[in-house]
Amino acid sequence: MKLLFVSKLNRFARAINTIAKYVEAGKALGHEIAVFGDQSPEFPSVPYSVDVKRFDFAIFVIYETQDFPDLPYLAQLLDGMPKERRVIIDCTGRFNETIQVEHDFNHLEKMDNHMGWEWIDGFDAVAKTILQPTLTPLRADARGFLFHGFDPAAVERRYDTAEQAARSWAGKTAEPKQYGMVYVGNNWQRWSQMRSLLKAIEPIKQSVGPICLTGWAWDYRPDWAAELGVEGIDTDAAMLQQMGVELNGNVSFDQVVAFVSRARFCPVIHRPLFNHLGIVTNRTFETFCSDTIPLLMLPNQMIESIYGPAARLLAVGEDVAGHIQDILRRPEAYWDAILKTRAYLADHHSFQRRFQELSAIFDK
Amino acid sequence: MRILFVMDQRVDRGSIQSMSSYVRAGDEVGYEIALYGRTDPRFPTIRFSRDVGAFDYVVFLVESCRNWMSALRMPRIFAEVPRCRRAIVDADGMYNQIVSTDNYDRNYQWEHIRAEWLAHYRIVADKIFQPTFTPREPGVRKVLFYGYDPAQQMPPEASPGKAYDILCVGHNWWRWRQISRELLPAIERVRSQLGAIAFNGSWWDTIPAGAAELGLESAFGTDPEWLRRLRIQVKPSVSYTEVINVMSTGRINIMTQRPLFRELKILTSKYFEIFSADTTPLVMIDPDHAELVYGPAGRELALCNGIGEKLVDVLSCPKKYRDIVEEVRRHLLAHHTYCNRVQELVAALQE
Repeated sequence: MKLLFVSKLNRFARAINTIAKYVEAGKALGHEIAVFGDQSPEFPSVPYSVDVKRFDFAIFVIYETQDFPDLPYLAQLLDGMPKERRVIIDCTGRFNETIQVEHDFNHLEKMDNHMGWEWIDGFDAVAKTILQPTLTPLRADARGFLFHGFDPAAVERRYDTAEQAARSWAGKTAEPKQYGMVYVGNNWQRWSQMRSLLKAIEPIKQSVGPICLTGWAWDYRPDWAAELGVEGIDTDAAMLQQMGVELNGNVSFDQVVAFVSRARFCPVIHRPLFNHLGIVTNRTFETFCSDTIPLLMLPNQMIESIYGPAARLLAVGEDVAGHIQDILRRPEAYWDAILKTRAYLADHHSFQRRFQELSAIFDK
Repeated sequence: MRILFVMDQRVDRGSIQSMSSYVRAGDEVGYEIALYGRTDPRFPTIRFSRDVGAFDYVVFLVESCRNWMSALRMPRIFAEVPRCRRAIVDADGMYNQIVSTDNYDRNYQWEHIRAEWLAHYRIVADKIFQPTFTPREPGVRKVLFYGYDPAQQMPPEASPGKAYDILCVGHNWWRWRQISRELLPAIERVRSQLGAIAFNGSWWDTIPAGAAELGLESAFGTDPEWLRRLRIQVKPSVSYTEVINVMSTGRINIMTQRPLFRELKILTSKYFEIFSADTTPLVMIDPDHAELVYGPAGRELALCNGIGEKLVDVLSCPKKYRDIVEEVRRHLLAHHTYCNRVQELVAALQE
């Protein structure tokens, strides 16, 4: 297949890692993958092309309106690729009626000036096929396609046994880890969950170790959010300072796995809207590549359906401190779950598998 | 004929008042005019439609942003209405060479940004209209676009009481230099002879978040302490449905225009809207331009020299100025109603 992805790439956010993996896996499988546009010096390993007609399908990967190209390019794209061969991957559930979950929305008129109906009309006008990275799309005219995937080759450190993994993780056969817990991601609709997690950890923070949050807006609530009255980018600088939480800037997509591997724990948190819609992200899978114990803070049903049965043990549940203390007491059991989950992900969610799924969708 | 406008509609800024007037005037002269979108309670006087294909022409009303003409919105319009039936009203003079006034206000900072705009325009439409008497670029057609809506006229007997001697209803967007160099020093000189003063609108006492990042800090210059010293109240912006009423609470209303617009002689909604209020409008434009728009009586309302004395004179001789304003209104009725504007727009679209 010759696939042309259309999206605005950003080395610190959204789908860059997933698209880079499609390029890599596609090459190995004999597919040709490129991103629409002029070659970006920032992503030399990602081929770009504006030769639209050379491709079989254009796949729009949409988070925000800016993911669509600007007009002269857009016109070129629409003229060069018939609608039947244009596909949208709706990464944030825009192609739905307006949904509010806590402070989280799928339509943010205040920020992008587009009302809910425009997302539906707009997607319908651009593409024949709308895919959403969930197993359970709400609309009959959207199809589930998880899009993001797991790359077994990206696993930071491989182990033959859970015992070996647990010993290394505990610093017995490898360097002790720099952090107790890290989180890599922007503070957009994450604070309520992060706050609960930190509060729960506070009484045992000595045994967890240093905590580090990286990404945007963990240190302050942006002025524009206050001006527009946009909730969900809250933070509590005093609480973070009092807990000694280290705040760092963004981590480039190609450094995330290694960075997370510097911590014993890494939470997997999805936006409330994503939990509601069952939407997965790059981080859903990528966290399992790092040499860390994922703390799954996701709905149980989602954990089982995406990660398989072994991952049940990795679900944090209500008693966060108890869960972490149990990991510290018997890490081998948890590493056993991680190794089994990695195997499950390799079987069910590899990028090879994603290509097969895409091919089946296109065949239909 | 059916005309569909597409714009970045905001309830308290831009050209939304003119949309309301186009819908009303269109009905009066037999054209169906609507704004792209869904019925919205914030815009009770505007007819909305999403049935793009049912319209003969689509007119994009473009101000100083274009990101609202997003790829989410445009493909549907492109698919249903061919380019020859699409037009742009270039309200902020973006379809020009780079124009910079006194190294302050400008349409573009960089040539490559201008090139991107023009490329965008070429895809969107093949007709470009500008609301000025003298377009500078070949291929741009003069369409004054904004007008006077007699149906909005506030009769004195229905007018709210006068709470202010002076009102300035509008946003502090490239206005501060004129306000701080001309208006405020004049007010300072005669402040003891003036009653309450208010500025209604955004950014008179704060700079919006992100202005510095966008290199637009100078567009929002302000001095809240000076305003406080002059006892000038800063009030929030008002919805277009309330603006005539609010203006009518002032004995004098002052209209300012950004320097770029004064340079390009671009008209705005405010030129005419201010004459619908029960007030004495004073316009901070040069007298020749005031005469061109408002007729000979308009010169008397141009606020450029002797500003302090003029403010005091208007407050002390209301009858004299009421007569001048009435004469201007007669001129507007003869030359600048929205019924005229609708006909002019239709003619321009059909050319």
